[in-house]
Amino acid sequence: MSRWTRRNMLRGMARGAAVAVSLPLLDLFLDGHGEALANGAPIPTRFGTWFWGCGVNTARWFPSTLGKGYDLKPELAPIAPWRDKVSVFSNFNCILDGKPNLVHWSGVMATLTGSAPLKGGVTGGSAEAPTLDCLIADHIGRGTRFRSLELACTGQSGVSYSMRAGSTVNPSEVDPIQLYRRLFGPEFADPNKAGFTPDPAIMVRESVLSSVKDDRDTLMRSLGSADRQRVDQYFTSVRQVEEQLGQMLQKPAPAEACTIPKAPGQMTLGPTWDVATRTHDVMAQLLVMALACNQTRVFSMALSNAGSNLRKAGEPVSFHELTHEEPVDEKLGYQPKATFFIERSMETFATMLKHLDGVREGASTLLDHSLILATSESNFAKIHSVDNLPILVAGSAGGRWKPGQHISGNGDPSSRVGLTIQQVLGLPVTEWGSGAMQTSKPISEVVS
Amino acid sequence: MDRRLGKAITRLALPCCMAIAAIALAGVDFVKPTSAAAAQDTGGSHGPALRRLNEGQYLRSIEQVFGHGIRVPGRFAPPLREQGLLAIGEAHVSVSPSGLEQYELRAREIAEQALALPGVRPNCANQGNRFDRDCAEQFLGKYGRLLYRRSLDAAELAGVVAVSQRAAATSGDFGKGLQAGLSRLLVSPYFIFRLERAAAAPDAMGRAVLDDTSLATRISFLLWDAPPDEELLAAAERGDLREDAKLAAQVDRMMASPRFEQGVRSFFFDMFGFDQFAGLVKDQAIFPKFNSELARDAQEQTLRTLVNLLVTEKGDYRDIFSTRKTFMNRGLAALYKVPAPSAGVEGWAPYTFPDDSPRAGILSLAGFLMLDPTHEGKSSPTIRGKAVRELLLCQPVPAPPPNVNFSIVQDDSNPLLKTARQRLIAHQESPACAGCHALTDPIGLSLENYDGVGAFRSHEHDAAIDATGTFDGKPYVGLLGLSQRLRESADPPACLVQRLFEYGSGRAVGAGDNAWLETAITRFETDGFRLPALMRRIATSTALRSLGPALPEPGTQQANLGMLYRRTK
Repeated sequence: MSRWTRRNMLRGMARGAAVAVSLPLLDLFLDGHGEALANGAPIPTRFGTWFWGCGVNTARWFPSTLGKGYDLKPELAPIAPWRDKVSVFSNFNCILDGKPNLVHWSGVMATLTGSAPLKGGVTGGSAEAPTLDCLIADHIGRGTRFRSLELACTGQSGVSYSMRAGSTVNPSEVDPIQLYRRLFGPEFADPNKAGFTPDPAIMVRESVLSSVKDDRDTLMRSLGSADRQRVDQYFTSVRQVEEQLGQMLQKPAPAEACTIPKAPGQMTLGPTWDVATRTHDVMAQLLVMALACNQTRVFSMALSNAGSNLRKAGEPVSFHELTHEEPVDEKLGYQPKATFFIERSMETFATMLKHLDGVREGASTLLDHSLILATSESNFAKIHSVDNLPILVAGSAGGRWKPGQHISGNGDPSSRVGLTIQQVLGLPVTEWGSGAMQTSKPISEVVS
Repeated sequence: MDRRLGKAITRLALPCCMAIAAIALAGVDFVKPTSAAAAQDTGGSHGPALRRLNEGQYLRSIEQVFGHGIRVPGRFAPPLREQGLLAIGEAHVSVSPSGLEQYELRAREIAEQALALPGVRPNCANQGNRFDRDCAEQFLGKYGRLLYRRSLDAAELAGVVAVSQRAAATSGDFGKGLQAGLSRLLVSPYFIFRLERAAAAPDAMGRAVLDDTSLATRISFLLWDAPPDEELLAAAERGDLREDAKLAAQVDRMMASPRFEQGVRSFFFDMFGFDQFAGLVKDQAIFPKFNSELARDAQEQTLRTLVNLLVTEKGDYRDIFSTRKTFMNRGLAALYKVPAPSAGVEGWAPYTFPDDSPRAGILSLAGFLMLDPTHEGKSSPTIRGKAVRELLLCQPVPAPPPNVNFSIVQDDSNPLLKTARQRLIAHQESPACAGCHALTDPIGLSLENYDGVGAFRSHEHDAAIDATGTFDGKPYVGLLGLSQRLRESADPPACLVQRLFEYGSGRAVGAGDNAWLETAITRFETDGFRLPALMRRIATSTALRSLGPALPEPGTQQANLGMLYRRTK
């Protein structure tokens, strides 16, 4: 070792034997809330959204008790091991205030964009404002190779709840093999490898994109305002990919928790339950390593579309159809076949938590350094209700978010959750949303 | 011809008590379009369009510009259907960052492959690392013009050449420099989007119109679903498209090309919603004959049937509802329970359904019957009825109101409600639902003799299927009865004319287009409902190049074109 710096010394120890080392951490090496990796690099905070379709059964999902140590009802039981890391939000609403209730669309867009949408329905629609993952990626995602990743588990790339304003979805990666190639293919630079030489081919690519921006001014002049917005989005994308290339010209910061995963094998894709959850599991593991290896800090994952086409193999009707067509069992008080999917959706979310919590970073885990917003588009899909939307937030943003509480919004707009997340992640916003969804009231109970 | 244009032309939501019920329920006016939609419906100025190339158009552009054999990698963004057409949605989408990543990847790989093709790589590229400005300008100017579908101006060309020069310097290889320049052209918004430009001067009538190369692009995507070739581009640059006879000559040349068949296929792919075939899944436990190959064959069969009837035989459009002539392969023969063809091109052979067969017209083919991505284990009369209304008749069906209670509906284990008809009638007893289901279900229920993938059946759950229906107040029995009613109706041809114009111009028709549309529908009738004649009329119309509402052609000009057309026939 050439120099006896603190960083090199700690790195040496971490790579060496399992020796307990106790050293006072110097503030210099800590992020604002006191955690840094043994190599001295501050641990980044991550953000993700996780979407499931067709809501919940209120009485079987929402806890009865408020605050910490809330009770777990049957449909939330799968998250039991992580209850102290997961916050539940109840009685936060999509407030339509005269706007139409666009079935299987209004609820999710209200929570994710802070605005009830004007156009859409069960097959999707448009967004009045960018979704949270885009806003947050613009803030915390610039320093990584991918500003964000979009993923879906039913094989359909149009299934995505990540949108800039307008009609263009950020299409999802649906095939684990392609996701792997994009993340860990030839362009991946191992953050823990010693040497680094910038690739001249990347410089050429950067200069190509830089030159494309020359087209902007003449193009903008010839267009009406709606088209100008679309061209603007195109050039924003150009700039983002250019920045990504710029990242690839720099030696990546070391990432202790990063281990390069094995390439996944060929698998069937589709909306049957077993296939979709298997896809989810493989993609979740790749995603977790993409986060741990600093390839991205933001993601948006959809288990299915909002009018969920998830289906048990051999059954003629899908989850969405069941929510509308299956009678409520009088003895049970709920729709048993539809509820199967609600319970399994929460089990699937729990596997995501397990993967995130399984990665050690410093003294805690990747989950602790994240905020994961999980939500659905309806409360009770049978009647498309958008009051009391089911909302979970997992993780504690590296100590900036007080996890593990059940908080009631008393009928406030669900945009309060999004505003709070943005503020905790350091975005300079004091109010968010539009119309009746507009709010300037963060949820103070979770801010530490 | 009994003309009820109101429905087809003004695109008002159907008068429907359900929409009223929805308004009452939610306290909002559902029929009122949003401000953006209202702006499009004013029939005023539409401005030049900006349309993103779809996957097929991108692939065909590459093939047309560089020749066969280039592998195009990467995912394309999912298409967007707006106001009934993907062609309209293409004018509303942009490119996301992950989408741009894919365009950038494609640009690099296409440029690398293209520079390796002997027909593309210029001789002057093989001179090591010396940067040859003339060579670069000539090469990038040539391919830039084909990719942008217009010539590059001096500043644009200088920018692209500069990229080449920098890349040649970085890599020490002039060929690599040209490759980077080509890559730069391929990732440009001028290639990825079809950007239309207004002509500097208005036309003889004082109306704002597209410039020549923009018009050439509209025409070639309408007729070929591909960019203009060298000949059309040269004609546009000479100003030929402003002269009726020369314009007609170009259109006739293009319609005589084998590429015209692709243009017709692309149009019907869009009009009939065939994008829904992508990823279409049916449950194999319930429909053992279904697999992704059968889905692909079903789509192919309908397209072949349409091309044969409308292009090869120059048949009457209305016969799409009655023709028994189609094409068959092994998989579909098993589904339809007819003898498999012994040979044929790529497994396909012409086939005519016998007169006593339950199959005639495109509604009876699997390409229509299985095309429902929302029901994987059964047929949905509502979705089928909606498809007939929206795709074939241009009659939008309002979306269901949000707060419907479906609790009595379609519990298909209910021993008292064995067939879809019985279950849907129970549903229709709810007044909030009755209005719209009255539009869709009588049509869909009469198709219930064909299951979720299109196989014929007479019973569901041991109960005989009642396939009676009414269309526009006239009773009929079964799919063939419905097809006969549609064959007699004035609405399908009017819908076709509307869709073709919308497809070509990339915008939904509005009230300002009514007079033109009415004239065009009458002329379609005069032409014996021949699709090629209709496409020719639209391709040569002033409406297609207009940046305002489509106005009827000045009489003399149209008469001349009509004569020209009869002469060429």
